[in-house]
Amino acid sequence: MEVFVALTISVLFAIGVFQLLRRNLIRSAIGMAIVSNAINLFLLAAGAYRGEVAAYANQVGQRSDALPQALILTAIVISMGGFAVVLSMLYVLSVRYKTSDSDEVKGLTH
Amino acid sequence: MLALPIIACLIGASAGAAFTFIPRVRSIPSHALGWLLAVAPASAFTAIVLHVPQITAGDALTWRIPWLPALGVEFAFYLDGLSALFGLIITGIGALVLIYAGYYFAPKHADKRATGGSHAAALHGKPSLHTTAHQTNAHFFLYVLLFMTSMLGLVLAGDVITLFLFWEGTSITSFLLIAYKTKDEEARSGAFKALFVTGGGGIALLAGLLFAAAISGSTDLMTILSNGDALRSSPWYPVMLGLIAFGAFTKSAQAPFHFWLPKAMAAPTPASAYLHSATMVKAGVYLLARLHPTLGNTPLWFWLLIVTGGTTMLLGAIIGLRQSDLKGMLAYSTVSQLGALTMLIGEEAPTAFKALAIGILAHALYKGALFMVAGIVDHETGTRDLRRLGNLWRVMPWTFLICGIAALSMAGLPPLFGFLAKETLLAAELEEVLPRLTRIVLPAVTVLTGALMLAQAASLALDTFVTRPGVGWPAARHDSEDGRAHYALHAHEPPAGMLLGPAALAALSLIITAFRPEIVVGLLASAATAAYGAPVKVALDLFHGINLPLILSSTAIALGIVLFTLRSPIRSIPNARALNMNLIYDGVLRVLDRAADIATRTQAGRIRIYLAVILTAFFALVIAFGGLWRVFDGAALANLSRRLFDEPFSTQTALRAFGLILAVAASFVSVIIRRDLLAIIALGSSGLAIAVVIALEPSPDVALVQAVVDTLTLVVLVLALSRLPHAQRRRAEELNDSGIQKWNALLAVAGGALVTALCLYAFGSRPRTSLVTPYYEQNAKPLTGAADIVGAIVVDFRGFDTMIEITVFSVAGIGVFSLLRYAMKKRETAGLPAEGEIESNLAASSQRPLPPTISGIDGGRTSPFIRALGYVALLLAFILAVVQMVYGHDQPGDGFTAGVTLSLGIGFWYVVFGYDEAKQRLRFLRPGLLIGAGILTVMAGSTAPTFLGGGFFSPFDFGAALGLPLPEGFYISTSFLFELAICLAVLGAATLIIDTLGHPERDLE
Repeated sequence: MEVFVALTISVLFAIGVFQLLRRNLIRSAIGMAIVSNAINLFLLAAGAYRGEVAAYANQVGQRSDALPQALILTAIVISMGGFAVVLSMLYVLSVRYKTSDSDEVKGLTH
Repeated sequence: MLALPIIACLIGASAGAAFTFIPRVRSIPSHALGWLLAVAPASAFTAIVLHVPQITAGDALTWRIPWLPALGVEFAFYLDGLSALFGLIITGIGALVLIYAGYYFAPKHADKRATGGSHAAALHGKPSLHTTAHQTNAHFFLYVLLFMTSMLGLVLAGDVITLFLFWEGTSITSFLLIAYKTKDEEARSGAFKALFVTGGGGIALLAGLLFAAAISGSTDLMTILSNGDALRSSPWYPVMLGLIAFGAFTKSAQAPFHFWLPKAMAAPTPASAYLHSATMVKAGVYLLARLHPTLGNTPLWFWLLIVTGGTTMLLGAIIGLRQSDLKGMLAYSTVSQLGALTMLIGEEAPTAFKALAIGILAHALYKGALFMVAGIVDHETGTRDLRRLGNLWRVMPWTFLICGIAALSMAGLPPLFGFLAKETLLAAELEEVLPRLTRIVLPAVTVLTGALMLAQAASLALDTFVTRPGVGWPAARHDSEDGRAHYALHAHEPPAGMLLGPAALAALSLIITAFRPEIVVGLLASAATAAYGAPVKVALDLFHGINLPLILSSTAIALGIVLFTLRSPIRSIPNARALNMNLIYDGVLRVLDRAADIATRTQAGRIRIYLAVILTAFFALVIAFGGLWRVFDGAALANLSRRLFDEPFSTQTALRAFGLILAVAASFVSVIIRRDLLAIIALGSSGLAIAVVIALEPSPDVALVQAVVDTLTLVVLVLALSRLPHAQRRRAEELNDSGIQKWNALLAVAGGALVTALCLYAFGSRPRTSLVTPYYEQNAKPLTGAADIVGAIVVDFRGFDTMIEITVFSVAGIGVFSLLRYAMKKRETAGLPAEGEIESNLAASSQRPLPPTISGIDGGRTSPFIRALGYVALLLAFILAVVQMVYGHDQPGDGFTAGVTLSLGIGFWYVVFGYDEAKQRLRFLRPGLLIGAGILTVMAGSTAPTFLGGGFFSPFDFGAALGLPLPEGFYISTSFLFELAICLAVLGAATLIIDTLGHPERDLE
């Protein structure tokens, strides 16, 4: 399973990088979201325990590792905020350069 | 208090700033301002004078405060004879210059200047430097006082870092003063040239000083001065000396770096008089004199300084005589004099340092006076061209007298101070300790220089004030005869206050030698002693009997008179181009420009190429230093395969595999699908699939957050997409990037392979027991009262982290808001029809009447069923949010989920009812207020326990403390307040994002 998870993360990462490098800026934004998904999965998989029950104090059995979960929680929130800023920058670029093609976004305009 | 003089100057500078920037006091007349601000340097002067008795008694004063204690750097001041001599010159001449500048910048009598001045300016081919009555020149005083502070700091510095700081300060203020006439191209290029040369020297100096500090073990000047033997015997000595000397030579305009100084004459004359003759250019001399006891007395030191100084001395004198501009001539004679001073520091004899101290003071006195006289002449006649001036003594007798005295001193004639300077200089060069060759060459060079200086001094005084106007003036341009008569008629004595400065300096040149030598003897002796490193006796007797120096001096005078009569033919010899350092400087700048061009060409200007380069470099770094080869280590591989095959097959595993496959497949669809909207939906599916994987971990809290955030992301993306013009989106979708796709794919595959290796390594080698998690598991319930361990970590164990996290999220919301507002303003100014700003819309739309036809997001009508669903959804979201907050510590769900859930309900309203109606119905929703309330709540909730016996962020049950009857399982505790705060802040930020992104784009298409 772990090899499979590792492969999944890599494929997600590769897809994200590919999307990130495309000319269409909407796709670049999508790529960013995919890369952060891949990284969150990595954090989750890096947990020390293979959980059988959720990380609640009143549960009996091997709990899943709470620490990476808390980290992912924070990461999700922050990447959501960053994502919103990226999208509004996309809109600003669209107003300034009248395009969402990253190759046409160059030079300084007023 | 050694800092007193510097503080006095700083106060003066602050006053100068006040007069520059506060409109109400700007109208003060400039001469009054000069007198007023001169109080600052005058009091600094007094403060130093009060220390002089102590210093002449042989004491050195120090004063220090720790500055960067970790680096051992102190803000230290140090006052001995050398510092005091410079300090007195800086503050004394500084006060006089400020008074002088007040009159220099005073508006003229319009009747006189209107004809003569403009005529003169037109003839001279330069813009008139005089200002109109309403312009303020207070910032000139500000710059001068800032310079004075830096310069004083430089000579009083007791720590090499402090010294360097002030050294750079003088370079920068000098730049500001040279470029004072900002509209003048020559002033700007001259200022840049000066900054380029002295700034470059400053960097070398810093390196050299750091060498010295490293070898002696401290940046403290005293320590460095007392470690001379270690420094001289260090293998780094030549490098260190080279760097320090480079800094000093550039600053003190030594050949071949002298070329910036004549160009610096574009500065207003008071600044030239002060910075570029009396003080700043002597900073290099000061530095060399200061470091002589510790770095000097080696063959390298001797030859470096003797050759450089001697060359500069002769070169400056030769070029100086060829100048026909008053200030140009003064600039080159300054270069020459600086060369002489540098040469003296190279000589290892007490007489040389006696000559050095006398030379510094004599030069400052006569050159300061001459510069100010040049300014007066320029001010009164509108020209500085020696070929056109003349006969002014009739109308300006007092100015002539002052100029005459100063020029006699410059010429080195008795009984002036300058004579003494030249006599001691010659005496020093004849010292027995010098090598035989230099004992012949140096006096010869000095006699020649002395003759040239005498010719220049005579030219300065006589060509300006006595000779018939027009000597050497080409006959072809004789039509200016009428104009010249014009100046002679209109020029008259400047105001008495303007004469004060040069008069005082010239008088001192005479008084010191002829009448009262005792006022400076002690100070000069202690300055020479400090520079030499051993006691030096100084006596200022004019006549020592007929000796070799006197004979040489007389020879120089005779030769000088001959040269003076030949000045016109000498000036008309064409310039030798090879000698011109300016050409080399221009060449260096051209090379730099070319290099910059080449560097610019590597900037492709394409964002994705930069990104690709960054990613490639990042991957390369991971490969090079990540130690990934360890994956293929036998033990790790065995470990990995054991884990792989150990896993028992279960339904859960199958489900997780299914979720992962789904996530990858959906992501892949987002790549290949053509329409952006569908790609976004694919991304949403991928995110939900990951939520499933997380839920199977099992990790319900995170899965919940992932699901709601994924949905919110989807909503925000769709909203953003709908803002982009339709045609533009189509164009972007049809983009043909087949040419680059190959490379992108290659990079993506490389990244994927790298991450695979990284994951396998990480998973294969990580420990199977955590050090941290058990602590959380055991203490979550007893310490925080929460069964939900993840929730306990987020709002309690790592509460501070979470507080910052929601602040970041809120800031992101505000960032989106301001970016979009900016973009909308941009659209307005771009000529597109304005649609009103968001913030006015926030208020206005709540009062606007409902549109006649209620419409959804794209103008289409929504069915009553969907509308009813909207009401229900928001209500349900609200209930859900409350439940999640109240019971979140024992159940899945937390404040963040609650906030996002509510935001989603609100987002749904925007979709169902359309922007205007949603806005109208939700007018109670104030995003800014919610964010503020959220962050304030978290701060209050986390601070409150400190007053109730706990600590900052420690858990506390307010409900129990107040004895409130609450339902079972619900506690008003710090965690609850935290959840509430997160919910409020997230709701605020998310609605702000939805609201601004969902703002209709009626004008597009």
